[in-house]
Amino acid sequence: MNSFWNGKRRYVALLLFLAGVFVALEVPPVIPFIQLPGENLPSGYNIPFTDMRITNTLVAAVIVWILLLLFLAYIARRRPNDGSEVPPGGFYNMFEALYEGLMGFISGIAGGAHFRLIFNMFMTIFLIVLLSNWMSLIPGIDTVGFIHAHTKEKYDPATEEYKVITTDGYEIYQGFLGISYVNGQCDWISPADEAAADEAALANAEAARLAAIDELAVKDAYARYQSAHDGHGDDATEEGAGGHGDDDHAEEAGDSDEASAAYDEVLAARDAEKQARRDRDCYTGVAISPWEDGYEPSGKDEKKEPIQLHPDPGSAEAKRVPWVVLPLVRVASTDLNMTLTLAIIAVVMVQYVGVKALGIGYLTKFFNFGTLFKSPLGGIDVAVGLLELIGDFAKILSFSFRLLGAMFAGAILLFVMSFLVPILPWPFFILEFFVGAIQALVFALLTAIFMNLATISHHHDDDHDHAEAH
Amino acid sequence: MDPQSTIILGKAIGAGLAMIGAAGGGIGIGLSVGGAVQAMGRNPDHTPTIQTNMILGVAFAEAVAIYALVVSLIILFVLN
Repeated sequence: MNSFWNGKRRYVALLLFLAGVFVALEVPPVIPFIQLPGENLPSGYNIPFTDMRITNTLVAAVIVWILLLLFLAYIARRRPNDGSEVPPGGFYNMFEALYEGLMGFISGIAGGAHFRLIFNMFMTIFLIVLLSNWMSLIPGIDTVGFIHAHTKEKYDPATEEYKVITTDGYEIYQGFLGISYVNGQCDWISPADEAAADEAALANAEAARLAAIDELAVKDAYARYQSAHDGHGDDATEEGAGGHGDDDHAEEAGDSDEASAAYDEVLAARDAEKQARRDRDCYTGVAISPWEDGYEPSGKDEKKEPIQLHPDPGSAEAKRVPWVVLPLVRVASTDLNMTLTLAIIAVVMVQYVGVKALGIGYLTKFFNFGTLFKSPLGGIDVAVGLLELIGDFAKILSFSFRLLGAMFAGAILLFVMSFLVPILPWPFFILEFFVGAIQALVFALLTAIFMNLATISHHHDDDHDHAEAH
Repeated sequence: MDPQSTIILGKAIGAGLAMIGAAGGGIGIGLSVGGAVQAMGRNPDHTPTIQTNMILGVAFAEAVAIYALVVSLIILFVLN
């Protein structure tokens, strides 16, 4: 097996590269639509029996937990706990190497009395964040999901049916299992159809004008008849009565107000129809997804009209994003909810290990009034304590925004590079691989460092006593 | 100028200004990598340790630039 891959691996890589080129040419990439908050899934995907929406980042987070549990269960099963000499290999060996390497690393940083707690916290955060970050490298994540589109209908003369297309001319297919997808470029309402409709409207207008003139002619004839009988013709009837047969009445009465008004009326109706269709076609929001016709942007505007791809549908920007794919799974660490949760857990654990190590005296780190009246510089200690308190809240922000920023920027980088150079985005995937690993390490390592710092008293004399007491 | 254009203009300028903060991260990364390379040149035996710490330091310096990036992303994609 190995020798086979050693010989043929380069060809497999070449084949994959060529396949990438082919796919990029066949299915051209679309302009990425970037949204910072996690998107809500359609309402068919509520948490059961509630109205609570599920975001696509939550889906990713759940997948991470399941993967992590399966992974750890596998590791635990493979572990030779009866002391038998099973030669380690493969996945288990890799994890063992990682585990021991990180254990040595952390014991060098925080190898005190609370090493187990700190290391457990470190490893938990590291694995969760690492798996979560690396999910962005899996194809289909961030790209496969529900289509939400500004749509219009296009008449297809071949099948005599109306097709749903996006306003930029992509046809929306209903595929397997009711899954819609966007593919293929097609026109707006075709110029030929438009011209034919225009021609028909012109003909209608002409007909209306002729009808109006005929009506006028009848009126004229009636007026002449009346005037002839009554013996007093007036100017108005004389003027139009210059002789009009069925053939030449158009020229004769062409300038009459009623006839041109009828003509204009038909053409105006045609224009209004065109305008109405243009408005409807371009800007009527219909969300195409197998389960729901509505799209609420995450969280805040539940009561808005069903689709709001852009607040101003007529603007140029809205035309630029006529349809979006709402990913079914989006990397969990690109959502502030995930990173903020982890940050809060990390900072709470820092306080926990501090209280565990130093007892209630740990809180003097924040509220240091002990020296206020003893020392001339006691006020400074109070201020420093308050600064420490603020600093711990700042830690939450810095933890969460560091991870969010790195991973969200990475996701945008992958989007944009896949759009700009669709045949060659993989160097950036390698970059994201390292960024994901480094950010996971940084998050977990900072937690470990802060936890270790919290166990060290700034009053060095009583540090040991408290540590022993617990 | 219509209001929509003004909003876009303001967002673009604000996001660009926010990214000035990335300069600090760049300076920090440059200093830490420069120091690390000098240290590695003097003690090649300690390269792994130095490299690990350098990468960590670079990640922390990068974090400052990432804060600026987050601000600019929020301006661009969250503000309406």
